[in-house]
Amino acid sequence: MTEKPKKKEDKRIGLFVCHCGVNIAGVVDVKKVAESLKDIPGVTVSTDYVYMCSDPGQQMIIDTIKEKHLDGIIVAACSPTLHEKTFQEAAKLAGLNPYQIEIANIREQNSWVHSDKDKATKKAVKICKSHVAKALQNENLEPIKVDVTRRALVIGGGVSGLQAALDIADHGYEVILVEKNPSIGGKMIQLSETFPTLDCSQCILTPKMVEVSRHPRIKLLTCHEVDSVSGFIGNFKVRIKKKPRFVDEKLCNLCGECEKVCPQIVPDEFNMGLSFRKAIYMPFPQAIPGTYTLDAEHCLGLSPVRCGKCKDVCEPRAIDFDMKETIIEEEVGAIVVATGYDLYTMQALGEFGGEKYEDAINGLEFERILSASGPTGGVVRRPSDGKIPKSVVFVQCCGSRDTEKHLPYCSKICCMYTAKHAMLYKHRVPDGQATVFYIDVRTGGKAFDEFYQRTVEEDKVLYIRGKVSKIFKEGDKLVVWGVDTLTGKKVEIEADMVVLAMAMVKTEGVQDLLKKLKIATDIHGFVAEAHPKLRPVESLNAGFFLAGCAHGPKDIPEAVSQASAAAAKVGDLFAQKELSHEPTVVPVNDELCSGCGICITMCPYGARTLDPSKGVVVVNEILCEGCGACAAACPSGAAQQRNQTDDQIFSMLRAMLRE
Amino acid sequence: MKLHYYPGCTLKEKATALDNSTREAMKRLDVELVEPEDWTCCGAEYPLTEEKIVGLAAPVRVLRQVRDEGGDILVTTCSFCYAVLKRANKAVQDDPLKHKRINAFLRDDIKIDPLTKDRTTDFEDYNGEVQVVHLLEYLRDKVGYPKIRSRLKRDLRGLAVAPYYGCRLLRPQEEMAFDEPDAPRVFEDFLEAVGCAAVDYAFKQECCGSYLSVSLPDAATEASYRVLRSALMDGAKAVAVTCPLCFYNMDGRQAAVKEKFLDFGGLPVLYFTQLLAWALGVDREALGLGEHAVPADGLFEEVPMTEVRT
Repeated sequence: MTEKPKKKEDKRIGLFVCHCGVNIAGVVDVKKVAESLKDIPGVTVSTDYVYMCSDPGQQMIIDTIKEKHLDGIIVAACSPTLHEKTFQEAAKLAGLNPYQIEIANIREQNSWVHSDKDKATKKAVKICKSHVAKALQNENLEPIKVDVTRRALVIGGGVSGLQAALDIADHGYEVILVEKNPSIGGKMIQLSETFPTLDCSQCILTPKMVEVSRHPRIKLLTCHEVDSVSGFIGNFKVRIKKKPRFVDEKLCNLCGECEKVCPQIVPDEFNMGLSFRKAIYMPFPQAIPGTYTLDAEHCLGLSPVRCGKCKDVCEPRAIDFDMKETIIEEEVGAIVVATGYDLYTMQALGEFGGEKYEDAINGLEFERILSASGPTGGVVRRPSDGKIPKSVVFVQCCGSRDTEKHLPYCSKICCMYTAKHAMLYKHRVPDGQATVFYIDVRTGGKAFDEFYQRTVEEDKVLYIRGKVSKIFKEGDKLVVWGVDTLTGKKVEIEADMVVLAMAMVKTEGVQDLLKKLKIATDIHGFVAEAHPKLRPVESLNAGFFLAGCAHGPKDIPEAVSQASAAAAKVGDLFAQKELSHEPTVVPVNDELCSGCGICITMCPYGARTLDPSKGVVVVNEILCEGCGACAAACPSGAAQQRNQTDDQIFSMLRAMLRE
Repeated sequence: MKLHYYPGCTLKEKATALDNSTREAMKRLDVELVEPEDWTCCGAEYPLTEEKIVGLAAPVRVLRQVRDEGGDILVTTCSFCYAVLKRANKAVQDDPLKHKRINAFLRDDIKIDPLTKDRTTDFEDYNGEVQVVHLLEYLRDKVGYPKIRSRLKRDLRGLAVAPYYGCRLLRPQEEMAFDEPDAPRVFEDFLEAVGCAAVDYAFKQECCGSYLSVSLPDAATEASYRVLRSALMDGAKAVAVTCPLCFYNMDGRQAAVKEKFLDFGGLPVLYFTQLLAWALGVDREALGLGEHAVPADGLFEEVPMTEVRT
């Protein structure tokens, strides 16, 4: 910015109108647009080309800038989210400051939404004129530079979080992995066998868990929750809440004496409430870290006066009732959100009895029943009386794909896991009858359809196309009413057990955290990606990356791929010497600012604070994302966005409204 | 206090037990029921089954009359009347075309001044001002269960009663907005408030056979049997209904049910208001127990309330 800025009157502007094939030229008369802009004051050159983003198109822009000594250009083409960068780079090659580039969107905001050629052409002319008015007042800007903390935070210790942490650590960077539960492993560690290969889920996940716990660059924090995050990409400050475990994990030698004497019996979350554990417990034998945990909610009182039996028998003196919640602070440069999913509540399905019938269970409960380490040791027994069920009905899409009453989306994994459930059931109970109700069977995945075919043909599982209307209990059977939509007949099946493929939904427990992180979510509460096709593992909030089912329903291979992709993106970020921040921020003019603070309340990024000594607002330019909310709210005009000042906006309006 | 009450035709003929027990019970809850003047048949389900708008003129005319008498709530007990009035009301509120056309029909209505005998057609358009409420809802939301409990005179000693919703109270959910159709609570809570134990059974929302008792009596017999059997299997000593047609099918057809299904031993069917009235101390004679085909007298034991339930 050493060069003295040119006066507005002296600026030489070039206009380049893109046809985008017929995307624009089919509706807008591009030649006429270029022609109409020729005589506008300031416009030195105005031309059109079939694809401006193509190599020859860019070369034409570069050559014209050099040849005509342009001070600014306008590319009338598609949305700036697509090619603004392309043309900024081209301008740089021609020696022009990239912030002298204007994109006039005449595609998404014009040709794609209009059909009247005449009116669309007139609108395109107006759009271009307004950008000429703006370009005349654009200043040369330089990106703001900032350092990077090469350390990542991964939130969530399920398979996605584990994979992301391992990959980032293997790239050579430090990782902090935060898990709110006493052990890592997530939902995957609860599964029995995985489709379509029927590997034992624990057997394939535990090596990764061990690797995480032993990795020199991974700091594993279980029983911890992220409390708040401040800062910005490359420079986050994270407050992490350490929830007391009441057992020193370094001292605990897993002798199990404490568990034997504990008088409190509570439903075991790991077995989905199908069995019981004590108030001092180890979630499962392969839990990492390998230590007992005291569940304060169910403990008789964390006081040797009231119970204290466990403390008395603990030889290594690992139990400490006086542990308190503490906060630790860490600095990181990138954050991977891998907070997983929940199952849709069965209470929402009143027609299936809600949670009334013990033998109507969800998929995850059936996983525990199938699991060799589960409450029945892998023998299929129903929860109510422990009998081996001779007839099991599997109901797909429970809550999914129901636009009227439940969730409109497909939970994606249920077709496959139901096929797996039915197959495994038939392997364990060969004389049993498995019936599946489905809307349609979706098996898009490697070796998925073959697996489904095997379930139907080799294991003789009966598939009925239709929905279930009602499940009720009669005697010790569950009666399932449904419809076979291929024959048009009503179906009534007496089953010993029903397995409901409940929809996958957002994790309720992390919604507050996501709000605090200000991460965008979609309408169903899943974390939103920056672009559905081209930026699938990044959040729109810079520095945040997504992995696994926090982003939407997905199976294990997909969750793992996404985690690796997120890790690679973190690697990209950390490989940079320094980060560039867009300079189109909103500084404060000290002379005009009255210190009213309205802009501080408007700012969603916490970039503005009041300087009490001067009585004016100061801006942390790194935090400012240039949304302009403060500029619009500022009553005195002290907050002006760079290259988007009030003056520029009014010039644009005048140019647009002048006939 | 006075409350507008729409009995409907059946309650004046075949189901006087429902009408009488309702009036007697509400008196004991300090509510005087007033019928809108000159009320007519609601259309008994038929207006809802066809697209023609003229059928809706009858229920809307009743609602307009309630408004013109200064009422803002109209209470019904019969499920069909409730469904027809509520859905006609909603059609007037939500559908501008129906609003216009129904009111156009009603403008030709003639009003006769009771004193001067003057005939006028001086009506204001009806815009859905009246709220149509089922008595179960009124008891829950306006009277309140604590008040009912405090007025109980007889102890029903946890009589196991199966609440029967039938088809009309709960659906269509968006229009009826009565309760969660798959897991309703209002009838159960009412029964518990009057001292019964509500039986949870699977067929509480299934069809009783409805008008099939005219065209396909066998099908209605079977439908009633399924409901009664389900209630019996879950330990019910009686089934409570809100609807005279449900009563007709499930009580009146029980002889046919027994003939067709030899395993079935019989189960008394009651109107919910009979239980309410009895618990509140109304005399046995006013309950209309003579209308029952399956004797229900034995259920009404004279046990005075010894302590106020909380």
